[in-house]
Amino acid sequence: MNPSILIISFLLAFFFSIILKKEKTVKLSNLFFSLLGGLSFIVYAVIFLFSSRDKWISSWWMMDNFSALMIILIACIYIFSIIVSVRYIGHEYEEKIITLAQYKMYFALFQLFALCMFLVVITNNSLVLWLMMEGTTLSSTFLVGLYRKKTSIEAAWKYMILCSTGISLGLAGILLLSYGAHMGGLEESHIFLLSSLAENAGLIPQNIIRLAFVFLFIGFGTKAGLAPMHTWLPDAHSKAPSPVSAIFSAVLLNVALYAILRFKFIVDSAFLDSVWTNHLFLIFGFSSIILSALMMLIQTNYKRMLAYSSIEHMGIILFSLGLSPLGAVAGVMHMIGHTFAKSALFFGAGEILIQWKTTKIAKIKNMLKYSKYTGVLFILGIVAIIAIPPSALFISEFGMFAQSIAAYPITSIILFIALGIIAYAMLSLSIKMIFNVEEENNGEFKTQKEKWNITHSIIVFEFIILIGLAFWFTTANAEILIDKIVKSFLFIK
Amino acid sequence: MNQIIAILIQIIFVLIIAPFASGLVRFFKARLQGRKGASPFLPYITLATLLRKEMVISETTSWIFRVVPFVVLSSVIFLSAVIPLIFSGISNVFMSDFLVIAGILSIGSIFLVLGGLDAGSAFGGMGSSREMTISALLEPVIIMIFATVSFVTKEFTIDGMLTSPTVFAPYLILTIIALILVALAENARYPVDNPDTHLELTMVHEAMLLEYSGKYLALLEYASSIKLVVFSLLIANFIFPLTLVGASSWGIGGLVIGLCLSLIKIIIAMFTLAFLESILVKMRFYRMSEYFSIAFVVAFLGMVIALLTNIAGIIVQYHSLFAIFSVICVAILFGRVRLKAILRYYAVSSLALAGVAWGLIPLVPEAEKINLWLFAIFTIITKVWAVPYVINRSSHAKKSLTNLPSFLRPGKSYFLAIIILIATYFILENISITGLEKWNALIYASVALIVLGIAMMIIKRNVFSQIVGLLVIENGIAVFVLATIGSLPIVIEFGVFAVAVATAYILSILSAQIGELYGSIDTEDLCELTE
Repeated sequence: MNPSILIISFLLAFFFSIILKKEKTVKLSNLFFSLLGGLSFIVYAVIFLFSSRDKWISSWWMMDNFSALMIILIACIYIFSIIVSVRYIGHEYEEKIITLAQYKMYFALFQLFALCMFLVVITNNSLVLWLMMEGTTLSSTFLVGLYRKKTSIEAAWKYMILCSTGISLGLAGILLLSYGAHMGGLEESHIFLLSSLAENAGLIPQNIIRLAFVFLFIGFGTKAGLAPMHTWLPDAHSKAPSPVSAIFSAVLLNVALYAILRFKFIVDSAFLDSVWTNHLFLIFGFSSIILSALMMLIQTNYKRMLAYSSIEHMGIILFSLGLSPLGAVAGVMHMIGHTFAKSALFFGAGEILIQWKTTKIAKIKNMLKYSKYTGVLFILGIVAIIAIPPSALFISEFGMFAQSIAAYPITSIILFIALGIIAYAMLSLSIKMIFNVEEENNGEFKTQKEKWNITHSIIVFEFIILIGLAFWFTTANAEILIDKIVKSFLFIK
Repeated sequence: MNQIIAILIQIIFVLIIAPFASGLVRFFKARLQGRKGASPFLPYITLATLLRKEMVISETTSWIFRVVPFVVLSSVIFLSAVIPLIFSGISNVFMSDFLVIAGILSIGSIFLVLGGLDAGSAFGGMGSSREMTISALLEPVIIMIFATVSFVTKEFTIDGMLTSPTVFAPYLILTIIALILVALAENARYPVDNPDTHLELTMVHEAMLLEYSGKYLALLEYASSIKLVVFSLLIANFIFPLTLVGASSWGIGGLVIGLCLSLIKIIIAMFTLAFLESILVKMRFYRMSEYFSIAFVVAFLGMVIALLTNIAGIIVQYHSLFAIFSVICVAILFGRVRLKAILRYYAVSSLALAGVAWGLIPLVPEAEKINLWLFAIFTIITKVWAVPYVINRSSHAKKSLTNLPSFLRPGKSYFLAIIILIATYFILENISITGLEKWNALIYASVALIVLGIAMMIIKRNVFSQIVGLLVIENGIAVFVLATIGSLPIVIEFGVFAVAVATAYILSILSAQIGELYGSIDTEDLCELTE
């Protein structure tokens, strides 16, 4: 089936968000179309994943098991984020923090942003992939800078400048790769197709491919928030509206990683060996984890804390993938687990922000009393993200260490300590918010009791998925499926 | 016999058309400035009036004062006789040696200077002193220009240069640009001199004529119009050398065509001149040296490329020339501080990018030609027009913010740009990527543009420079596309250009918001998020 039919739902949602004049109708149309588009994508991907077909390729589209997995992740978080947005952005609209025009712009851009991400993972054309990657940056800049405040504009500026520059370099990499293929004798019409590049990778001269991958890695790595190129990430994540932070952290980074992995496959097939790319992955993964461990200790802002945690988890995924082929299974599991855990945390952070009107940890106290549902769910989320069983992340991190301790014992021990530091820092920071009972500035905030709302339901739902995944990962069924996914993007000798 | 008639026709044509040409400039200029303007035939009447008027000659003058008009007029008539303006290959070709031409030009200006000095008035002396400064600066450029052409065509006479087949060599564009710059100065037009006023501050040529009246003034005015015609025809002939009529064998038909073409050339040249004079302002006299150094550098570059091509066997083609021009524009942009100037250089650089695509068209297979045309057109629409327009509009709101200070002063910025260019060159020399040697200059240009763009984003810490830096990187990538793949599929190409415009649009909105909220556009101030 051609996935282009599914795109229409997003475009309709985009147009309705612009055309409709009332907040309520915009809200309803977005809910309807996101459920329609997201669920149909999920159904499409699930059918594909459990069918016997491994690949479906045309000149524009490429669907394999890895794409299907990415589609499911994107679609889930997309639906959750739209639902949470309706609550979060609707609340801000009622409080008159944003205007109706901003409200409409938010949903319109959100739909475009999601559409771009979907297209990144199902396209077969490397240039379309690039265009859509750039499209995610362009469409989400104003989502980051939604509040016209100094800090959010600054975050949007940094995000746009860094990612655009990075992705421009990525384009240079794509062009080099295609040029190499062209020189190797590939047909003109095939040089931009990821599938034919991968099949004929042996034709590409090796020095060109090496140079191209460096460009690609730096370019898309910027978007994925890898360690030296991460500087936009904490700013953008902390200043964007929480649903946007959630979709950024949980999906966008993975989508960027998806692009890197696609090109990694081409490079590995050219070298008939994955040692070089794996080393790059290990180095950048390691540095990401170490960096976030160091930064985590001095955080005073809970959304920035979550952002650094995203860098850390990107590092873990990258490190696991660097330990391929066996570590790749852990990497994929971690990708799935992190998507659900981190988005739940950002939704929680949004609830905290709505109630406490601050992102400073020091100003939030005794959440158990004033916002008990959010408080409990937030601490549960923290427990899940630092990989305490029965979180699904535990299984993946366990898998990663099981692989790495044999191959790189000293590095693994350092990583273990780093993860320990991160766990300690995140726990201590959030415990301060939740259990600290000093009430020196009592008069400042309203002591309005919090009610159970749709966001809490979504968070609980995600926790259920997370725990369910943890049990499912241990079954043989899951192993077969994840193995299938891994095989579709990993070069195995 | 034929040849002598040809010379006579040429001289008579020039003599008849000359007042019309200067009238035409005034006419076009008036129209461009929204005035109705006098008839282009007015100078004939002016000359006739002057010829009938009585002359007033100062008692302190010597014979030189009286000789000057005749010498000046005969020098330009000589020029119109020997330079191939309508006919090529006339019998006195040996006299159009470029050194002779330069010498005759000097004789004219020397006598004009002497005439200005002779009466002993303050204005005449001032005008003469200025004229001498200008012609001293002008002389080497003229020699350089003709030496280059002479070297390329292996001919010493202008006639030989124009009839030689190698006069089409692409790098002669530089030489022709220099020739145009020289012609503007030599004919006392904008931006060197103002032909319309008698203001103390601005006049050069007119100051020397100030003491003349009546018939002598008519002769001098006539001489300057003839000179204008000679130079405009000469430049037109350098650009379109095939429009000359062979002097040895011409019929009435050829003659009519040649005369019509010459008339068209004069009209176009005069229109261009009027257009230039409407958009330019006269330079301050002390900035004149800059103007002549530009002319000199352009002429010199033309010569260097000519020498390289002929001696070292490096063939310079249009695309490499445009690519280098694009890089030079960005290097100049590097040291500028006014946003308007930066955007203008960016637009010119993008225009050169379209030129690169245009230059590649003859070199690629048939199927790709349409893509390159589209590339050139898209580039002109988006990067030459839309992107600078969008950024300019957003900066309009904050006029005070359009000066873009950087860490480095302009001099140092230029120095850095040159170092980057040289370093890029040597690094690229040492890395050889198989198969990329074919478009060496393009690869160099693209890498240089990318590095310059990144450097600009780093050293110039304000929002507009960062935007322009990003755009320059995009241009670098575009050159890279041309150098490697040649052309992208049309849908994708459209997407890439759309991305460029969208990026510029979003960034300009953001920068306007930054200007509003922070009250400055210095990126150093963007430091609220440092926890």
